[in-house]
Amino acid sequence: MDFLYSYIVLAEIYVLLGLSTNLLVGIAGIFSVSQAAVFGVGAYIVAHFMMAPDPLSFIPSLAIAAVGCVALNILVTLPALRVSGDYFVVTSFGIQLLATAVFTNWTAGTGGANGLPGIPPPDLLGLPIETTAQYAWLCTGAVVLGCLGFFLIMRAPFGRLLRAIREDETAVAAAGKNVLRAKVSAAALAGAFAGTAGGLYATFLSFIDPSSFDLDASILLLTMVVVGGARTLAGSIIGPFLLLALPQLLTLVEIPTTIAAAARQLIYGLLLIMFMLFRPQGLAGERL
Amino acid sequence: MTAYLQVAGLDHSFGGLHALRACSFTIEQGRITCLVGPNGAGKTTIFNVITGFLRPDEGSVVFRGRTLNGLRPQMIVHAGIARTFQNLRLFTDLSALDNVMVGIARQFGEEPLGAIFRPLHTARAQSRRRQEAIATLEHVGLADRAHDLVRNLSYGEQKLLTVARVLATGAELLLLDEPASGLSASALDAVMALLRRLQSEGKTLLVVEHNTRVVQQIADDVLFLHQGHLMAQGTPERIISDPALAEIYFGGAL
Repeated sequence: MDFLYSYIVLAEIYVLLGLSTNLLVGIAGIFSVSQAAVFGVGAYIVAHFMMAPDPLSFIPSLAIAAVGCVALNILVTLPALRVSGDYFVVTSFGIQLLATAVFTNWTAGTGGANGLPGIPPPDLLGLPIETTAQYAWLCTGAVVLGCLGFFLIMRAPFGRLLRAIREDETAVAAAGKNVLRAKVSAAALAGAFAGTAGGLYATFLSFIDPSSFDLDASILLLTMVVVGGARTLAGSIIGPFLLLALPQLLTLVEIPTTIAAAARQLIYGLLLIMFMLFRPQGLAGERL
Repeated sequence: MTAYLQVAGLDHSFGGLHALRACSFTIEQGRITCLVGPNGAGKTTIFNVITGFLRPDEGSVVFRGRTLNGLRPQMIVHAGIARTFQNLRLFTDLSALDNVMVGIARQFGEEPLGAIFRPLHTARAQSRRRQEAIATLEHVGLADRAHDLVRNLSYGEQKLLTVARVLATGAELLLLDEPASGLSASALDAVMALLRRLQSEGKTLLVVEHNTRVVQQIADDVLFLHQGHLMAQGTPERIISDPALAEIYFGGAL
């Protein structure tokens, strides 16, 4: 049972990340490959404040992480507001590599490659959350709120504006709208989602290391959005649940554990390519 | 008296190409002014400068006494000037209605916090704006296509939709880049009737147009542009009957 719950918790954390990525990449067309870096910063911030000599409790730590990631994601996506499409992918790629380098080498702050163990479990207004089942409820709450926010944005003028920006920024400016401001807002929102996901992730696993927040993780996020379906709420939910089930399915096949991680990465990559070629709208979405 | 729109001494080069040379003219309020001239005369460049998409090397644009130089495109729309594009630039994955609604100024829920924390207010404001947008679509004769995706509209309908989108901004001076090109005879009549109707409602129009029949029928004034310079200004009859201009326009310059 615990196994099922931890699958749900992880999938739900990735749903939050999927919403974040979908908002930025799918809807606004800001093709970021550095969402995992923002996710990581959220995780490290929460870990830092909850493990400080004078520790903060979970909610304030999470709030700081969310705010920090809002600021960070604005900074990170700022190049996208200046350079278009292809150039931004390269910039974003660089930012992801830079973040991984910091996570790995800043031993005093992140524990370096060895990771950061002993992150305390969260509490909700004094109520400790210790069992995986309780954790699943917490994450479900976060995901419901996240989905609600995503849904409200999609049906509001802000959502329409972002979709229009993805199609033609020049035409949006000619229609009297501030493209820059809308993109900054989208980046901020995506940062808040990713930061929250990071905090949930760190406290759930109680151990974090740079491998969860590297380029592979960013690609995994993109794959989830592409497979699930870009620009739809359903797509952001289906993708993570499906792709996180994959490693579990792989354990049923008789392959040596030494190549399991590589096999997983291989399958993710193949899925990404296949979907882009044959079903770019994903299982439940629109063409990216 | 200050002119409604005054363009003075515009100069602009793209590398070695001198697109505008000391180009000056004025436009009067409430009139339809057609901008004509051979390909490469600088007509679209003028549009890009007036609407803030291009900063001229020299010169100024003054609208109702306010200098527009250096303003960003969206600020110029707020100042009251909106444009269409020769290649339409519609949002093809959105419905006709959504294309118009993107243009509506100052909507509640265009900021994420408002959209998330005041959803009911956003929804109510949206339904009012939707009525406005439908009225605008009706105005250009596209009400029955409101919920169709742009890519399913005919070319003529898409052209009308670009006009609906600039109307939604509430701008009073409309810059239309070739609204009649590539249209069938019946679609052409619909567009010309629409332009006259807009004029009668108090809009001022600056129109780039190649079709001399259209120019003759709708223009109050014609600006003749050649090699980035204003060569002549006058009534359509005068401009079209000028043999020297006809020579330039129909290939004499070759």
